Amino acid sequence: MVAAAALLTLAMLQASPAILVSRQLAARAHLKVGDEVTLATEPNGGRTATFRVTGVYEPTPDPMRFTAQRIEARLHLPDLIALAADPRDPASAEAIGAINVALTDPSGARAFANDVASTVPTVVVRPAADMREGDVFAVIDRFHVAISIVTVVGATAFLLALMLIRAEERRETIAVLRLIGISQRSLLASVAVEGLVIATAGAIFGVALALASERLVNAYFQARYDTALVFIRVTAPLALRSVAVAAPLGVVAGIAASWTLLRRNILSLFRR
Amino acid sequence: MTPLALAWRTTVRYRARAILAIVGVAVIGALLFDMLLLSRGLLVSFARLLNAEGFDVRIVATQGLTRLPIPDSAALAQAVRAVPGVADVVAIRAESADVRTDRGSRRVTLVGRSGTNANPWRLVRGPGLTDAASPAACEAVVDRAFPSAFGADVGAQIQVTALPSGQSALPAIGCRIVGIADFGFSASGEHTVATTMAALQRAMGDTREGDAEVILVSTAAGAEREAIVRAIGRLRPDVRAYSNADVVEQFDRNGFAYFRQISVVLSTLTTAFAFLLVATLLTVSINQRLGEIAVLRALGIARQRIARMLFWESALLVGVGALAALPLGGVLAVGLDRLLRQMPGLPEGLHFFVFEPRALVVHLAVFGVTAAASAAYPIWLAARLPIAETLRREIVG
Repeated sequence: MVAAAALLTLAMLQASPAILVSRQLAARAHLKVGDEVTLATEPNGGRTATFRVTGVYEPTPDPMRFTAQRIEARLHLPDLIALAADPRDPASAEAIGAINVALTDPSGARAFANDVASTVPTVVVRPAADMREGDVFAVIDRFHVAISIVTVVGATAFLLALMLIRAEERRETIAVLRLIGISQRSLLASVAVEGLVIATAGAIFGVALALASERLVNAYFQARYDTALVFIRVTAPLALRSVAVAAPLGVVAGIAASWTLLRRNILSLFRR
Repeated sequence: MTPLALAWRTTVRYRARAILAIVGVAVIGALLFDMLLLSRGLLVSFARLLNAEGFDVRIVATQGLTRLPIPDSAALAQAVRAVPGVADVVAIRAESADVRTDRGSRRVTLVGRSGTNANPWRLVRGPGLTDAASPAACEAVVDRAFPSAFGADVGAQIQVTALPSGQSALPAIGCRIVGIADFGFSASGEHTVATTMAALQRAMGDTREGDAEVILVSTAAGAEREAIVRAIGRLRPDVRAYSNADVVEQFDRNGFAYFRQISVVLSTLTTAFAFLLVATLLTVSINQRLGEIAVLRALGIARQRIARMLFWESALLVGVGALAALPLGGVLAVGLDRLLRQMPGLPEGLHFFVFEPRALVVHLAVFGVTAAASAAYPIWLAARLPIAETLRREIVG
């Protein structure tokens, strides 16, 4: 029994160090758990070490690298240093590229970053969720907002044109309503409500369309780039924002389209 | 009266709705035009930047364009110079540095280049680097914004401290500014100081000339670039050589995908949007004018002429809107380009929205098809209109 345990310990000590490979690397190199792989740090195959694949992982989706093929592997830090450190530079065995810190209270990330930065001024400390003004995604976000504003302007012009046609269609109805004593204010309120209903219904339809196409678009791009990244996500605040923008525009379009008709003389509405 | 004249009169008669429809088409058209400019803008701009440098082949240490030192780059540059068809070879190495002037100290990119007749920058003022200068002297060419930012122009002396790994205790070396230049790939808001490889070596405190990170090769007129790329591959199998076309292709594959995808998605959506809205407007408008059309038919105007009139109505709305979209799209493209160029680290000369004649052709073709498709349903409605029944309904109504 003791001998068996000793042999097992010896086998474990002699076994190659563990390595995790990305799903993409596993697929490309036909690797599976338990396989042995040799890594070399030099292009000519020099400085090698052998590892045993102990798992296959899905790389964390990275929007900055979604077009890149994630041919990656994860090693224990001492194994990586032993493999990659420059033997001519003793300091390279002590150097690392980054330290990730998980806080017990994530809301204190900024204060923590400030503390560390003031204690060790030579390092850059940044909360992971921090999006700076000049960040790529902050800029892309502003670009999307600009495009949506242009789309809304175009859509408003069309809505106004449609409401104008609707108002023209009802010229005589409006004249009759005014003849029987319905006030201009009531008529204005009715067209405002109509505009509100049309615009809100349109916005809700748009949100429903976005929701319906969300999975399709994500599936297409995820397959196209072999990534788990989510490209489109329709959230409740986003849906509310689109309805909140569309509704007042509908009211304004309804009132603007009917305004000239309501201010006209009743007889002129009958073309008399 | 021709169908076009009839369509024009109808459009003028309902001018408020026509103007609104044209405004709508113009705005949507501007967005479509911009998406067409965006679809290849980065690629065209990137290719222009590459070609403007005057070098046709670049050699790097690894696959991709990650900047790593090329082992024994000086010997490689010498060997490449001997390849038939090669006109000039420049080895480039870049490091971070601090530049100190009377106005204080700021971070710059310090570029060292090996002796050559050609430079990967466009000199706009000053004599430029003279490789005949004494090895102890340091000459520097700086970017256009440098003089105003540092208060140092051609002839001024600056102190340069190299920062090999972001920080350094290396002594500063004095350099004299000998030129102002445009650096195509220099990021906006960042400054570049270019000097000789020997001066960079001194700034770095190296005992020997450091390895270059990229070797740029210009080819003689008529030389086959791909053959030169292959020859370099044979010289040193451990390095990678790319022609400008290869670099653009790689950029297209990796760095550019997002904007191409978004431009395809938005172009499709805006076209569908324009089609739907114009078709709806025309259909609603035709429904309102059924009596009028029935009268025209009763007067003996042929079905075909009515159809052509409706087609021209659609063409007028979409055509005028599409033409108005061009200047509007141009202005919008300038604004959107400025917005996107706020991305950090983007080369100053790189643009997202770049005009190409093909964008104009596609824009007009798409709107031509949209006009025809938008008119199809209203034409079908008008063509199958029962004249007597419609007139009776109009009179009774």
